[in-house]
Amino acid sequence: MENSFSPTEFISVVNQTLEYTYSSVVVVGEVSGFKVNQGKWVFFDLKDDESSVSCFMTLWSLRQPIEDGMKIAVRAVPKLTKFGKFSLTVNAVKPVGEGSLKKAYEMLKKKLTAEGLFAAEKKRPIPEDLTKIGVISSTQAAGYADFIKIINARWGGMKVTVAHTQVQGMDAPDQMIRALQYFNERSEVQMIVMIRGGGSADDLSCFNDEKLVREIAASKIPVITGIGHEVDESLADLAADVRASTPSNAAEILTKDKNEEKKRIDRLMEHTKQALMQNIDLAIRGNKEKVARISRGIIDKYIEPSLELNREKMQKALELISQKFKETNTLFLTKMKLLDALNPEKVLRQGYAILSGKISPGSVVKITTHQKEIEAEVKTIKERKENG
Amino acid sequence: MADKMSLNQKIEKLDTEVEWFYSDDFKLDEATDKYKEAVSLAKEIEEDLTKLKNEIEVLAEDFTK
Repeated sequence: MENSFSPTEFISVVNQTLEYTYSSVVVVGEVSGFKVNQGKWVFFDLKDDESSVSCFMTLWSLRQPIEDGMKIAVRAVPKLTKFGKFSLTVNAVKPVGEGSLKKAYEMLKKKLTAEGLFAAEKKRPIPEDLTKIGVISSTQAAGYADFIKIINARWGGMKVTVAHTQVQGMDAPDQMIRALQYFNERSEVQMIVMIRGGGSADDLSCFNDEKLVREIAASKIPVITGIGHEVDESLADLAADVRASTPSNAAEILTKDKNEEKKRIDRLMEHTKQALMQNIDLAIRGNKEKVARISRGIIDKYIEPSLELNREKMQKALELISQKFKETNTLFLTKMKLLDALNPEKVLRQGYAILSGKISPGSVVKITTHQKEIEAEVKTIKERKENG
Repeated sequence: MADKMSLNQKIEKLDTEVEWFYSDDFKLDEATDKYKEAVSLAKEIEEDLTKLKNEIEVLAEDFTK
């Protein structure tokens, strides 16, 4: 006799067999007949060109929005219900393909924006004296290696605590949520850094998980994200306090460049030295002016009056000397003119002659003119009467 | 005292000390001591910048569960 079962027993045996064979299965298909009952139960069919399978899940488990026509992957447990209907009990959903990913992203972004989750006024700055940071990433990821390399090259003296988690796939959001909770519960770090290198839209879709995005927004400790490349924008980025374009960029935002800082300090000290020297110069100049002012005061008060008196005397003396000099000069010139007039040569040049020798009849005398000397014999001598 | 401060705190202190030289509080008779103090702090910062390393710890916690 073959084994016989009651319907309940049969369903129980089938479910045990399914659970043993397919304890967790991922099925990819297109959503159809999506509906939410009583605000908490989600029903839809997952179909392809030939077949369709019913899916059931709680609304709480639905972390990325879906709608009819979207291609999704579900992680589920196959089950036969007590009514004998086959169904997948879904515990995780992920949009698949560019169109579905984009659609889910836009839908959740709209919803969370309306709730104010990404509001600019909620953003907190990076703490000024940042010495303790918590990193959420996969330690095997290239993005993590870039972050550590750059942070070590740029700055020192920081304590970096790393929570190793998956950063892609269906399990990644929950792991990152637990890491966020770990850091928030302990409050030992000043900033949480969530990083992941570049990847496909599908790889990065875990950063659009609603629960993860809400956890980031609710974090007591400020969060900075550096996810993917410059062009990639996730909802985690929007919820974070600071968004870096890449893991390397996150390291650059969080730290100063020690070489630049050394140069800045050198310049600062050089300028300070110059400022100090200028202040000393100003003080010296101030003292000199002070001395000059005092000196001028002494001169005005004590020296200038006597100097003025002396000056008058000297002026009078000079005037007297000048007068005397003028008189002397005039006298000298008169004498010079007189001497000039008496010059024999000048008389000869005027046509006169000089007669020298003994004047007696028969004697020889010398006659000197301007140009000649003449010897002549005296013949007669007569007395002359003066004219006029 | 400076030893107990973080690198950033030392830099902030140096910036404050330097500002004094440009402020109305500047006094020539205090300037030499203040300048020596700033030079010493600047030297300490430069040494820190050269020597200090980051401490990196990967948590043993398993976040998969």
